Amino acid sequence: MKEFDTVIGLEVHVQLNTEAKIFCSCPTEFEAPPNTNICPVCCGYPGTLPVFNEGALRLGVRAGLALNCRINKSIYFERKNYFYPDLPKNYQISQYASPLGYQGFLQLSPERKVGIDRVHLEEDAGKLIHKQGYSLADFNRAGIPLLEIVSAPDIRSPQEAFDYLACLKLILQYIGVSTCDMEKGYLRCDANISLKEKESKTFGTKVELKNMNSFKGVRAALEYEQTRQAGRIRAGEKIIQETRLWDVQRLKTFSMRSKEEAHDYRYFPDPDLPDFAVSDQLIAQEKESLGELPSQRRKRFIEQYRLSGKESSLLIENKPLADFFEQVLKFYHDSQKVHKLLFGPFLEQVNLLEGGFDSVKISAKDLAKVVQYFQEGKINNIAVRKILSLAVPAEKSVDRIIKEEKLTQISDQVGLEDIVDNVLSENSKAATEYKQGKTKAVQFLVGQAMKKTRGRASPQAVRDILERRLKE
Amino acid sequence: MNLNLIEKSGYEIARDIKDKKINPEEVYSFFKERIDKYNPRLNAFIEAYPDFSLSSSQNSSLFGLPIAIKDNICIQGKEITCASKILSSCRAVYDATVIRKLKEAGLSLIGTTNMDEFAFGSSTENSCYGPSKNPWDTDRVPGGSSGGSAAAVAARLVPFALGSDTAGSIRQPASLCGVVGFKPTYGRVSRFGLVAFGSSLDQIGPITGNIKDCASLLDIICGPDKFDSTTAQAGEQNFTEALGQDISSLKIGLPKEYFGEGLDPQIKERIEAAINFFKKEKVEFVQVSLPHTQYALPAYYVIACSEASSNLQRFDGIRYGQRAQGNKLGPVYEKSRRLGFGRETKRRILLGTYSLSSGYYDLYYTRALKVRRLIKNDFDRVFKEVDAILTPSSPTPAFKIGEKIKDPLKMYLSDVYTISSNLAGIPAASIPCGFTKDNLPVGMQLMAKDFDEEIIIKIADFFQSHTDFHQKIPQLK
Repeated sequence: MKEFDTVIGLEVHVQLNTEAKIFCSCPTEFEAPPNTNICPVCCGYPGTLPVFNEGALRLGVRAGLALNCRINKSIYFERKNYFYPDLPKNYQISQYASPLGYQGFLQLSPERKVGIDRVHLEEDAGKLIHKQGYSLADFNRAGIPLLEIVSAPDIRSPQEAFDYLACLKLILQYIGVSTCDMEKGYLRCDANISLKEKESKTFGTKVELKNMNSFKGVRAALEYEQTRQAGRIRAGEKIIQETRLWDVQRLKTFSMRSKEEAHDYRYFPDPDLPDFAVSDQLIAQEKESLGELPSQRRKRFIEQYRLSGKESSLLIENKPLADFFEQVLKFYHDSQKVHKLLFGPFLEQVNLLEGGFDSVKISAKDLAKVVQYFQEGKINNIAVRKILSLAVPAEKSVDRIIKEEKLTQISDQVGLEDIVDNVLSENSKAATEYKQGKTKAVQFLVGQAMKKTRGRASPQAVRDILERRLKE
Repeated sequence: MNLNLIEKSGYEIARDIKDKKINPEEVYSFFKERIDKYNPRLNAFIEAYPDFSLSSSQNSSLFGLPIAIKDNICIQGKEITCASKILSSCRAVYDATVIRKLKEAGLSLIGTTNMDEFAFGSSTENSCYGPSKNPWDTDRVPGGSSGGSAAAVAARLVPFALGSDTAGSIRQPASLCGVVGFKPTYGRVSRFGLVAFGSSLDQIGPITGNIKDCASLLDIICGPDKFDSTTAQAGEQNFTEALGQDISSLKIGLPKEYFGEGLDPQIKERIEAAINFFKKEKVEFVQVSLPHTQYALPAYYVIACSEASSNLQRFDGIRYGQRAQGNKLGPVYEKSRRLGFGRETKRRILLGTYSLSSGYYDLYYTRALKVRRLIKNDFDRVFKEVDAILTPSSPTPAFKIGEKIKDPLKMYLSDVYTISSNLAGIPAASIPCGFTKDNLPVGMQLMAKDFDEEIIIKIADFFQSHTDFHQKIPQLK
């Protein structure tokens, strides 16, 4: 049976975090009511002209640098001509011959590197909402700056495509160029896939896949396509160069258009826009602003905070959480203890929140207090959970919760001795069992004592007293 | 009330307004009445606004005067047709930068003028509203594409107007109608609000009865604009300061390529007479050569049509303008554009689409850009030697309506003398310099290097101070 190598290249579009659109001053909030963030320019009214928002250039350069690209010192825009009702001018202002960045790479792991062919700036189109018998157009999104990131055909499996996307997303989030939220359309991904017979030097015919709306969807579509293409080749059939759409319901790809129907975009330099210099100063500033990239942070977390590789990865993959982790450490030094609390009772509470980490209300300082109090024996496990259940979703100070809920641990030895005495006299059967060698009975007795203290005692202290008294 | 305003220039009427001899509303009514009376014969206006309005009390040198606007420049709230059916009943939602500036300077907009559809043409015959007529002979064209503006100013239906010039669309009609037409340096005037034809060539400019009015208008409309990134950061200039100056030390070039085959002998004669006038005033003339002139026309048609094909894609009937009925997207596009665009527009869209297509791009578009560079180099070289270039504006005087419309190539040759300056981006103007035996106006073209509009104004003003061609007014029956 023929064996194949899979060849995958990804085209990713991310929406850049600028306040204004790329060629006019409209806000970029496209979730506003339809057609509210629009103007004659982004609606392509007659006589309007684009004016480049150089903030988009800045973010594009930053992304290019983070992806190890070479940056063109002068850029210009071209028009990509095609008719579609979501495209107000019936051409998209994009870059073709001379992209902002080129010849970069993304390091997936120490062993795996994927080339980045190019990154370029362009404007987004509007959004069509199809109804029964008619369609509505919303141009809020028209003119929002996009960065297109085209990988080299270096990706070798659907899983690697998934890893590439995760890695890319993390970097772009870290450097603050995009939120990369795929569900909201801040990140979109098209894939090219072909199969090459093992040992063969020539590439197979590629198929373009569109319409995937999650990283898992990209992986699933590529897996489906990998199997479909292999089946066709083994059956002696040809692969047709075409664009196929992923059907997320039926988990299948289906043909949208073949190469013969492909557009001739008639690219040419946009005469409305001059060349823009990308100064050495701007490049230097953006290099400076890159800050710590995820891979560097992961390494630092392992070294500085003595976290394991896995712990560190999990933490840096959630940038806001990792930032929070470091903030908490400013108020309480023990990184392992803080990490334990974060990934234990804290995340348990966060996962209950509808908005996830974004809607966490507790301050880093207060969370540090929780860890500290616990370590000092002032509060116990149960109290920690209780405090977090109240302080994570609402702005309420930890100290106040402890006071109001009377959560301080009873560390008063005399008080505890009395409680234990009570428990022993009320549960003489269990006490006798213990003395007869059923040491497990002590568990029950500890539970009874904790109940009497409404959870405020240290279970260990109770157990110590119990064991001592039972041996008396 | 003495209202013989047609013999007065714009700046003279403005002085009367300043001296309170007449008020802006009376001036407006005077010209509005002339429009109502003569426009049915000339078809120079697409729309004349019935009501006087003035949005500023600022006292510019042209305060209170009415002005007509070529109907491819956006005026907020008014229809913008570009003389095309596809834009019928489309209203502009904003003011073009030049309109804002005119309003701020206290001019009142009196109406929109006829033109070739989307400025594609040299006769105004490609208008969906029918051709404008030349006031000197209403059987003849006023030139184009700003023919409505030129005819309106020539017939003094308005003291002055704005036009747009992509290959001569201000200068050629100015020449055929015996008025002043000025195309500033590319980047001098904001194109924001001008419906684009050839974006790298288009420039708005004044059409006036004399160069003084022209200089005043240039003062108002020129300058960098944050809404047009192709405007030059050359700063605002005071063009009226170039008026009334001596020209005796100037050196003017006569490019031999502009005086050869195809030039009407009567035009040649009038141009030579003008040259002789300047020679008597001790202006030095030298023959120069612009060797790539013969390639300007083909290069121009590739570049302009390529840009136009893309610029006109937005006219699809979906968001504004005329939409044809259909229940599928493709047919709606096709039918809207088939019914909405005229013949010449379709021809140019096809030409441009072809020359940008993959496989032909390098052969046509890239090559045309190279020719453009060579043409620019020709001018750069010549302007090291001379202060200005003098040529005819048009190879022929006004031709008969219908004479060239069936032969596009013949029509395209109308712009043979004006086209190179658009490719090079340099300023150029047409100045009246006489009449043929049939009493048809003849214009001379003055060109200068980038951002040297002053030299043209200087020469033209000196000429008009010593001649009266610009004061002749056609007799309208």
